[in-house]
Amino acid sequence: MKPLVFILAFAAAGGADTPSRLEEVARIASVMVDGDVAKRIVTERAMRYMLKQDPRDPYLASDNYDVNHEAFIQTKKTLMRLARLVDFPSDVNLWMPIPTDPPRIHLVIRNVNEFSRFWRWGALHQEMFPEMKQVLATGKPLTLTDRPGWVAVLAPVYDSRGDVVGLVEVVSRMNPDPRENVK
Amino acid sequence: MRTALVVLFTMPCLAGAALEMLPEYARPDPFGGLVAPDQGARNAPVVLRGARGGWISLQFVVKLPEPGPYRLDVRLKAPDGGIQVELFREWFHWVPRQKRYYPDALVPVSLPVSSRLPEPDNRIEKQTAQAYWADLWIPKNAPAGVVRGEARLEAQGRTERLPFELEVLPVAIPEEEIPTIDHNSYGSSWLANFYKEPGESDQEFFSSDRFFELIHAHHRIFYEHRGVFHQLGYGHGGKVGPEFAPALTGSGRTRRVADWMLFDRHYGPLLDGSAFANTRRGRRPIRFVYLPINPEWPASFLWWGEPGYETEFVNVVSEMERHFRAKGWTQTYFELFFNHKKRYKAFPWDGDEARFPEDDDYFAEYHRLLQRAVPAGSPVRFLFRNDASWAMERQFKTLAGKVNFWVLSRSILSWYDYAPKMLKERGDIVWFYSGPPPVTEVSSAVTKFPLTAWMWGIDGYIHWLTVSPGDDPWFAFTGGDTALVYPGARFGIRAPIPSIRLKLQRNCVQDLALLERFAGRRPREELRSEVAARYNRSQPGDWWTRRPRLADTPPYEWSNTDIDEVTDLDERLFARLDAAAWQRVRDWVHELVKEGR
Repeated sequence: MKPLVFILAFAAAGGADTPSRLEEVARIASVMVDGDVAKRIVTERAMRYMLKQDPRDPYLASDNYDVNHEAFIQTKKTLMRLARLVDFPSDVNLWMPIPTDPPRIHLVIRNVNEFSRFWRWGALHQEMFPEMKQVLATGKPLTLTDRPGWVAVLAPVYDSRGDVVGLVEVVSRMNPDPRENVK
Repeated sequence: MRTALVVLFTMPCLAGAALEMLPEYARPDPFGGLVAPDQGARNAPVVLRGARGGWISLQFVVKLPEPGPYRLDVRLKAPDGGIQVELFREWFHWVPRQKRYYPDALVPVSLPVSSRLPEPDNRIEKQTAQAYWADLWIPKNAPAGVVRGEARLEAQGRTERLPFELEVLPVAIPEEEIPTIDHNSYGSSWLANFYKEPGESDQEFFSSDRFFELIHAHHRIFYEHRGVFHQLGYGHGGKVGPEFAPALTGSGRTRRVADWMLFDRHYGPLLDGSAFANTRRGRRPIRFVYLPINPEWPASFLWWGEPGYETEFVNVVSEMERHFRAKGWTQTYFELFFNHKKRYKAFPWDGDEARFPEDDDYFAEYHRLLQRAVPAGSPVRFLFRNDASWAMERQFKTLAGKVNFWVLSRSILSWYDYAPKMLKERGDIVWFYSGPPPVTEVSSAVTKFPLTAWMWGIDGYIHWLTVSPGDDPWFAFTGGDTALVYPGARFGIRAPIPSIRLKLQRNCVQDLALLERFAGRRPREELRSEVAARYNRSQPGDWWTRRPRLADTPPYEWSNTDIDEVTDLDERLFARLDAAAWQRVRDWVHELVKEGR
């Protein structure tokens, strides 16, 4: 019964074919998002601070977070255009792994609807999610509908060597809250 | 006469029951004593003296050694000069971290008030004392002189009377808010958490008159306490709350306002002053308001750096200027303000507390866009506000003539004693930012911010997140660190209720406004010296931090630890503040008034 309710609800919002339409956006995103540019977004300095911890200064890493503007803007605009491929509210977010042991991952670019199936609001980086690990390892997209009201498609981002260097999260939400995260 | 106005802990006894008066700054506990940080105010006199157009506050404490009912009344005797009495029951918050109770939330009650001890809803085992906060409003036309009153306690079959006198000074408190105290908040979803009725949908709540009335009620409570209220209407990713911006349509050349309905419903009564029509301070438009402008609104960031960004920005902001002008909303400062930070991953630059030099270029571009959108000579008052910390000294230079409203880190501003004069001479508005002290600090701690602003000669300060008292402020309180009002819903009140800290802050600010009357008659440095000496035995120079060597290194190399290590302002000035600190300043201001100096 639950899947039926879910599909009907999406029929009222984005349409019953929401998952397949987001999968199509994700397929295009895998082609259009430039992994070499994506790797240049976060500055080397910011990456060095990313995992530093100072018990007296809990904001050490986030205060030193910085990006290369050109790479950020170029990629963000691509993500925004991708989100416009569907006629219902969606976001296309960029995630990049952090080569640590155990591996971590960080959201690099997110967008106006504040949709993310994974991001803990305000987190600079997070533990690697199994779903993301799978996409990074296999290069195969993954569609997630396990959280009620959400559809997210993860798809690989490639660099010029053909390596999977990150992933996009193409995501939409049934009944988005227009006031959530206005803070 | 003076002795008649000073009442020393009058404690009439009636077979064990007692009624006691306390000065505003001596906060009681629910067992007949004072809270630990205010112990120094034990046996402090209650001085009831104030100016017209202002408030006098005091506390009554009902003490019953055994559980039982009581009835309390407070009346002024004719002629009362039109002075009005408001009474509030003080809620005792349990602070688990300290295993102690502190009073702070003030629940309005009607006179006479009948209740019992222990107070049923506060649920304090073995409670023997209940405190009431009394606010006495002195109208602008009240005659100078002495007004007499009486508090009366009925308990255990007997009645006891506690007389008091208050003195109305022959001056009025200036209307101007000196300094401006701003109270900040974010979005509106928190209102649903506090006030949505069971079974009510979000859509019903957020479209109801009650929702907009709640927003206006928050503005009113801060206005009545000589402050202002800010509500930021967009998130770090550029998402704008529906009632904070007009609805838009189109893209590029066709980008324009589609609908003002929600915006006008929200802001109309605030910008024309009608939301304040029935307040004691009278109808007046709000002085400041955030605009919803951010890197994603009204122009899409998709066009950043391209002609379309300017087209969309100028189209919509020009429409806003025309709408505001047509409505006559010309007494409010509309703030172009960027709150986003790159750490929240939506934009490549820091709008708030910029640190890296390349971010300053974005401010310059938005200044250019604003100039393009707003016609020269417009009566609508747009400000470009920048909240700065690390890089304020650099930005004072790079953004000179562009930013004209600075909200600055108090710690870092304390290194730059030249800055207020320099910025004020440019015509800029200067505030610092802070968070209210928790209830676990001495009561006078809430006066350190208004006084710092006044000592520094700046225009005001902003308290962060003043509407968020924590998950359970009533029985598992964290100290109310940032909240100065509480949701009244628990008491059947569909509006915020005030706190003791808010009242103490208001009373301090009205004294500062009164003190400003003397600024033209006596050298300002002399006034500052006298005030500092009485407040905490300091000198005006003590209120600044000696410029550290750190200030001459690039701000992006500093850490918060570095800043803390070179800024000892709080330790030097406020660590040993006593509860009566502000009362000493107030007494001196009143002396000046009485001597006509």
